[in-house]
Amino acid sequence: MRVIIKLFGGLKSKRAFPQNEEGDLILEFTEPIAVGEIIETLDLNKKPFIVILNGVNLVDFSIKVKEGDEISLFPPIAGGQC
Amino acid sequence: MKILRVNMSDETPSAKFEELGEYEGFGGRALTSAIISKEVDPLCHPLSADNKFVIAGGLLSGTAAAMSGRISVGCKSPLTGGIKEANAGGQAAQVMGKLGIAAIVLEGKPKTDDTYKIFINKEGVKIEKDNSLKMLSNYDLVQKMRSQYGDKIACISIGPAGDMKMSAASVAITDMEGRPTRHCGRGGVGAVLASKGVKVIVLDDTGTLPRQPKDPEAFKDANKRFVAGLQKHPVTGQGLPAYGTNVLTNIINEVGAYPTYNFKDGKFAGARKISGEVQAELEKQRGGNPTHGCHRGCVIRCSGIYHDKDGNYLTKQPEYETVWAFGGNCGIDDIDKIAMMDFLCDNYGLDTIEIGAAIGVAMEAGLIKWGDADGVINLIHEIGKGTYLGRIIGNGAAFTAKAFGVERVPVVKGQAIPAYDPRAVQGIGVTYATSPMGADHTAGYSIALNVLKTGGFVDPLKPEGQVELSRNLQIATAFIDSTGMCLFIAFALLDQPETNQALIDMINAFYGWNMKDSDVMEYGKKVLKFERDFNARAGFTKQHDRLPRFFYKEPISPHNVVFMVKDEELDQLFNW
Repeated sequence: MRVIIKLFGGLKSKRAFPQNEEGDLILEFTEPIAVGEIIETLDLNKKPFIVILNGVNLVDFSIKVKEGDEISLFPPIAGGQC
Repeated sequence: MKILRVNMSDETPSAKFEELGEYEGFGGRALTSAIISKEVDPLCHPLSADNKFVIAGGLLSGTAAAMSGRISVGCKSPLTGGIKEANAGGQAAQVMGKLGIAAIVLEGKPKTDDTYKIFINKEGVKIEKDNSLKMLSNYDLVQKMRSQYGDKIACISIGPAGDMKMSAASVAITDMEGRPTRHCGRGGVGAVLASKGVKVIVLDDTGTLPRQPKDPEAFKDANKRFVAGLQKHPVTGQGLPAYGTNVLTNIINEVGAYPTYNFKDGKFAGARKISGEVQAELEKQRGGNPTHGCHRGCVIRCSGIYHDKDGNYLTKQPEYETVWAFGGNCGIDDIDKIAMMDFLCDNYGLDTIEIGAAIGVAMEAGLIKWGDADGVINLIHEIGKGTYLGRIIGNGAAFTAKAFGVERVPVVKGQAIPAYDPRAVQGIGVTYATSPMGADHTAGYSIALNVLKTGGFVDPLKPEGQVELSRNLQIATAFIDSTGMCLFIAFALLDQPETNQALIDMINAFYGWNMKDSDVMEYGKKVLKFERDFNARAGFTKQHDRLPRFFYKEPISPHNVVFMVKDEELDQLFNW
């Protein structure tokens, strides 16, 4: 099962993973795995604050991923012109 | 603190100072909206002598309070036909405060086509006719003023778009470097300043001191706690300083709320190339600066300086909404070209959101192709030159849609919808629909809770809870806009009760008040009541508090959702 991980806002993994053309990480799993466990596996430089699974802002990180899922991770960020 | 009233109808325009009187206790947006609501005929033509143009610093502007440099301008808007308050950073609010001026009210209208400049320092006010300033761009104008009055001045000015009284004309405020980069952008406020015959207001605070609090020790202590709170919070202490507001591009795109090709899609394939991360890296590489305050006393420092490929100054760091307006909205993924568009809009004196939206509409009509960056740059030059085509686009998205027969018109009350799709973020749709300002993301920034999880989380894809969310944010924002504080302090205030208390303590220490949290909300409600009341008398009804119908009918990808908040619920927003 292949899952794409997109890291933004200065987040970096301390581990080496295969990457696609965009620089996103490609992770392969043989067993069903929860989003929270994937985040642990990544060993990031900063704790992600916003976790998006296929465009949906997650509250429950125990949800299991499926083939082709995309997870986008962000530190706390904000803004917008006034 | 005094109100400076300038009568532009007199053959020789006259100025007089008067006490705040019934406006005592009001600042910023509260002051502009109170004066407009009480003194302007809601049925007047916005460009007529009966409209007024009000400029006001906030309650804390000109003091030593951090973050207190926002300046508000208010009038009846030529874009919406309703009340307008638009605010910006820059130096002018602090300088006005130090000069002891709570508000400048421009009244009447010259009987001739002459152009005036107004110079204000501690000695008084000079109003001079200067027709050589007509049609000058903002950068040239400010340079000319600095050569005449010195480098210490702050300017409030209009570019050629204002001179031509376009409904997308902004009012420029100079920044710490004296550049005209901070803009009261929305609602065509620049056209109203132009209608008063005023091209520029030059402010010089030489020889003045900061305003002094009633209780200096308590004020100093509260300010210290306030600054510590802002620096501690990850958004105001890290995220915004590192990447600026354009840090939002990636996250808004990832949640499918990034309006693309005039609101046809929720994701833009080229988003990463124009993101805040890329922008900040370029600024560092080229000798610009991604971490820079837009006014003295700013500790968040989310503005920045953008250099071109040769390492020369091009513009200030383009804000998220600007990058979106010309980026995803027009299908452009070239950050250098977008930075040029930002510079041109600042120079001609244009609202980047309105112009980006208008060009998106023009692209939909086939005037130029999606993604044609050079075509967009040419169109902005057309606006600056005042060609017939330029005058169409320079009057905004709704006007452009009429001129070209386009049905998908992303406006509320005539004002263009900014960079967050209301179908994928339902809370911001409620704010767009109901704000007295027309579509305005800052009026009740639900993105904080719908997307960024600041102060909690409300599911953006469901209609439940969005009216209450927008209501509370609109009330709190009306208060913050009145203090002179930058709205971005709200991220820390939402998460940290002690930082919220520090702000209230600071205001109380300055004025000798005993304001509580509940008083803050009452203050915000009072401001909104002024604005709603004006709009009602101007002919606005609940039918104006609606989104364009295509948001209810056309699902947006990737979530395949429409706007679902019911009309009856929207009508409850101001029913507190």
